[in-house]
Amino acid sequence: MSTTTASRGSGKLPRIRHGIPEVFVTIFLVMLALLIILPLFLPWMFVFKTQLEYAYHPWAIPLKLHFENFTEAWTAVQIGQGLINTLIVCIGAIACSVPASALAGYVFARYRSRATEILFYAVLIGYFVPVQMVLIPLYKMNLKIGLADSLIGLILPMAAFNIPFWTLIYRSFFQSLPGELADAARIDGAGHSGTFFLIMLPLASPATVLSCLLIFIGAWSDYLLSLIMLNNQNLFTMQLRVAQFLNAYGTDRMPRYAAAAIISAAPTVILYILGHRWIIRGTLAGALKE
Amino acid sequence: MGDIAATTGNAAAGRAAGSARGKPRDWKRTVFIALCVLPALGFLAVFMYYPIEETFRISLMHSSGLGGETWAGFDNYVRLFANPEFLAGLLHVFSWAFWSILIQLPLAFLIAFSLTFYVNKTTGPLRVVYYLANILPSAITAMLGKFVFSPNNGILSSIATKLHWTWLSNIDFFGDPKIAFWTVFIVATWTYTGFPIIYLMARIEQIPTEIREAAELDGAVGWRYAWHIVLPLVIYPMQILAVLCTVGSLKLFDLPYMLTTGGPGNATVTLGITLYRQGFINWQYGKAAAIGVVIFLLSLAFTIAQFSWQKREGDSR
Amino acid sequence: MKKRMFVVLVALACCLMAALPVFSQSKVKLTVWGRDIADDGADHAYVKALITGFQAKNPDIQLEYIPLGDPGLADKTKIAMASNSGPDIFQSWGGSVMGGYADAGRLLDLTSDLKSVPGSAAAQGAMSWKGKIYGVAPFFAIAGIFVNEGIFKANGLSVPTSVAEMEKVSDALLAKGIQPFACGEKDKWPALAMYMYLTNRFGGDAFGLAQGRKLRFDDASFVNAAQKYQDWIKKGYFGTKPLGEGYGDAQQLMATGKAAMHVTGSWMCAQYSNKAFTDQTIGFYAFPALAGGKGKITDIMGMTDIGFAATKLAADKKAAVVKFMKYAMSTEACAAEPGRICSVPGVKAPSHLTDMAAGVFATAKNVQFWWDQDLPPAVTSPLNDAIQTFFLADTNVKASLTSFESLMEENVGPAKK
Repeated sequence: MSTTTASRGSGKLPRIRHGIPEVFVTIFLVMLALLIILPLFLPWMFVFKTQLEYAYHPWAIPLKLHFENFTEAWTAVQIGQGLINTLIVCIGAIACSVPASALAGYVFARYRSRATEILFYAVLIGYFVPVQMVLIPLYKMNLKIGLADSLIGLILPMAAFNIPFWTLIYRSFFQSLPGELADAARIDGAGHSGTFFLIMLPLASPATVLSCLLIFIGAWSDYLLSLIMLNNQNLFTMQLRVAQFLNAYGTDRMPRYAAAAIISAAPTVILYILGHRWIIRGTLAGALKE
Repeated sequence: MGDIAATTGNAAAGRAAGSARGKPRDWKRTVFIALCVLPALGFLAVFMYYPIEETFRISLMHSSGLGGETWAGFDNYVRLFANPEFLAGLLHVFSWAFWSILIQLPLAFLIAFSLTFYVNKTTGPLRVVYYLANILPSAITAMLGKFVFSPNNGILSSIATKLHWTWLSNIDFFGDPKIAFWTVFIVATWTYTGFPIIYLMARIEQIPTEIREAAELDGAVGWRYAWHIVLPLVIYPMQILAVLCTVGSLKLFDLPYMLTTGGPGNATVTLGITLYRQGFINWQYGKAAAIGVVIFLLSLAFTIAQFSWQKREGDSR
Repeated sequence: MKKRMFVVLVALACCLMAALPVFSQSKVKLTVWGRDIADDGADHAYVKALITGFQAKNPDIQLEYIPLGDPGLADKTKIAMASNSGPDIFQSWGGSVMGGYADAGRLLDLTSDLKSVPGSAAAQGAMSWKGKIYGVAPFFAIAGIFVNEGIFKANGLSVPTSVAEMEKVSDALLAKGIQPFACGEKDKWPALAMYMYLTNRFGGDAFGLAQGRKLRFDDASFVNAAQKYQDWIKKGYFGTKPLGEGYGDAQQLMATGKAAMHVTGSWMCAQYSNKAFTDQTIGFYAFPALAGGKGKITDIMGMTDIGFAATKLAADKKAAVVKFMKYAMSTEACAAEPGRICSVPGVKAPSHLTDMAAGVFATAKNVQFWWDQDLPPAVTSPLNDAIQTFFLADTNVKASLTSFESLMEENVGPAKK
């Protein structure tokens, strides 16, 4: 059933070839996509090379595959521990940010009054704060409330950074939904929360899918906040492990650093590609149908 | 067609629905609003408001960040506006916002529309690709940018040298103050355009099929459909993206810092870089806080301006 | 369905958080923040030997070594110091940054415990601030010229013994299509090494005087040195795109024989003598003197290569801290290092290149601490910024130095004769 919804765009409608033909548009899109993909393949040109081969011929086809860069990076990144910590942070960030943003965004979109408008800005100002500025007060705050050096002490501030942004996005999604649906539900006797959970939230599922995905990716990639909030090495996330390869001279062994970077980025990329089918389905299912 | 994009009409309906029902209902409504807003405000109250307050307070102090603060009044601010690095950062932030709105957003709309309108065997899988560059941590993005543009080992200069394209091998992508900004901007466009695309795609797919069918009957097809029907429907999301671009530019830090450290000279310095350098390298925590306040206030001003403009637009519709 | 997903997510998150590991503390625990990962890489051999050796010798102390990488260590240390929390021991380059922490009362005074530990005077000076010793520097780096001897031999050139010869050699190299110097000035700090020497060779201890505010930073020696530097840049001694290359690129140029000389710190000895890093033959020499200048070839620029300092948080386990510091300075731990110049007497130079560098260090009559470790933090990155502007063809070097001087006036005080 979901496959039929997924192909809705092309299936139901006749293709129209007015204006620029579809072939040209497709070629244009493919070329842009190549521009995006090609740089991602650059590290693969030398991760299997020795340092000297890289220094002389970074872009030549590798003659012999050296896997040492990967094995060394693998040991150093300690993917097991790092992966678990990273996953906890990602899921924690989603669990803390998404419900709070969805609820607030809904109210700011559908219950507009002077008071909610002020509250909206009270939430939104969190988005205007550059993270480098608040590291010291945040860390002091964590020390004060006893959350320093724990994953929860990273997840909660991270959520505070995510919520303003996603509240804004949710608000825009809820605003674009037709009001009649909510009114109809209300007339049917559904209360405020019933209308939200049963009618409006499912309709805004593109926003939910988007926020879960992007918060996950953001938490996965976070470096600065994690670096400051976590002291215990057993709590280190994968990005912190990878950063250990960096020294004042850039990185002493580029092929190995690139291997570590690939190892740390691979899970999100794979997850994203695998999850994408589901994401599109979710997005389409959320689109309005009669 | 108007109702789906209407920004204030629905809200007005919601307001009317709430208030028309008399007192007991009103009370429930207030409780519901409070319960909904509470989690978000709670997070911010604990982890944001105190740091914001601290930032404002320290911006009025001379401080190295290690304790020992002395009252400075507006001295930090006055000195900022005599600091060429800060002024360069301010200028770059605005041109950065200007060009991202002018280049990244139309590009994102073009791609998002094409991907949702021309659905075929090729464009389907392509949807995956466009967000791919945004998944990577900025350290990796910066590393890839260096692989492409480095003068000695970069792929562009390697190819140019091999093919004897001196016009290309002569370009100093990071070292020429006139070009460095654009090099950083290209790398940023490569990664940051992913979000506008995915967001606009989600919004365009919210448009009911009937609108498209009706438009086709009216003869609005292809790019005319994009221009006359779709664009007006996503103009509000585009405005939100413009706000995000502006605030994002004001806060911009890691990508340019990792690519060029703000150099050569002040050619790629941003407010975020100046803030970090003042606070963490120069130990001028008071000045860093003043920059933080400037970023904060400018973001607030732009957002309020943008939203009130959009509100007027919405009311007049 | 969405609601169920939320519930599942929240439940999952709660479970995971409840399972957070709890650590028990029974024996004395020392937390050490360092830069490099303690793995099998040749460049990390000392750190690994230090950590494993210390732990093996002191089973009653639980050592937790946390590598943080480069900007990571500095940023995290700053925040930890600001909030009066953090490690017991941290890797430190001494100088004014460590001094700032000491002034804020964050560091543990180890003067009485460490003053008799054998080591070079320069290294001890680097880890001291206002007469008190806060740590140890088992390795101390000096700046000099790395010379690709293979290229020099093939082209019939000899290592320059004066600045004039250096120019001749560079012109000859340029004529052969070889870049005379590798630099990596995109990163802003690498050009300082040569500028410190040029200034010294022109004006002797001009920097010391300017730092003591008896001379302005736009005094003749600074300006002449900057002018010479800019002339060389314009002649192409640093290649056609010196500002586009980072320090890593400069190393590559040197490693592949595309550049013939590199004026930088002796910390590069390990890599430049490592056959896996370069197939060139590289030597280390002192920066030559300038005919008619005040500076001598025995005036050497140096800085901490690896050093450690302790925080006040470790006050109640001072004995363990001192044990660690002493072990860091032991011949046993230092012997593992493949490249850096050891400041502990009796440690054999691990390679010919290190031997050459140590030989240069041994001739030093006067060691000037690296400028950006010696000036207060408020002006160090502006100093490197000013030097970077020399690389832009339209820069008036005097004006750049004057604006740096005004920053010195603001932060340190005006210069008085």
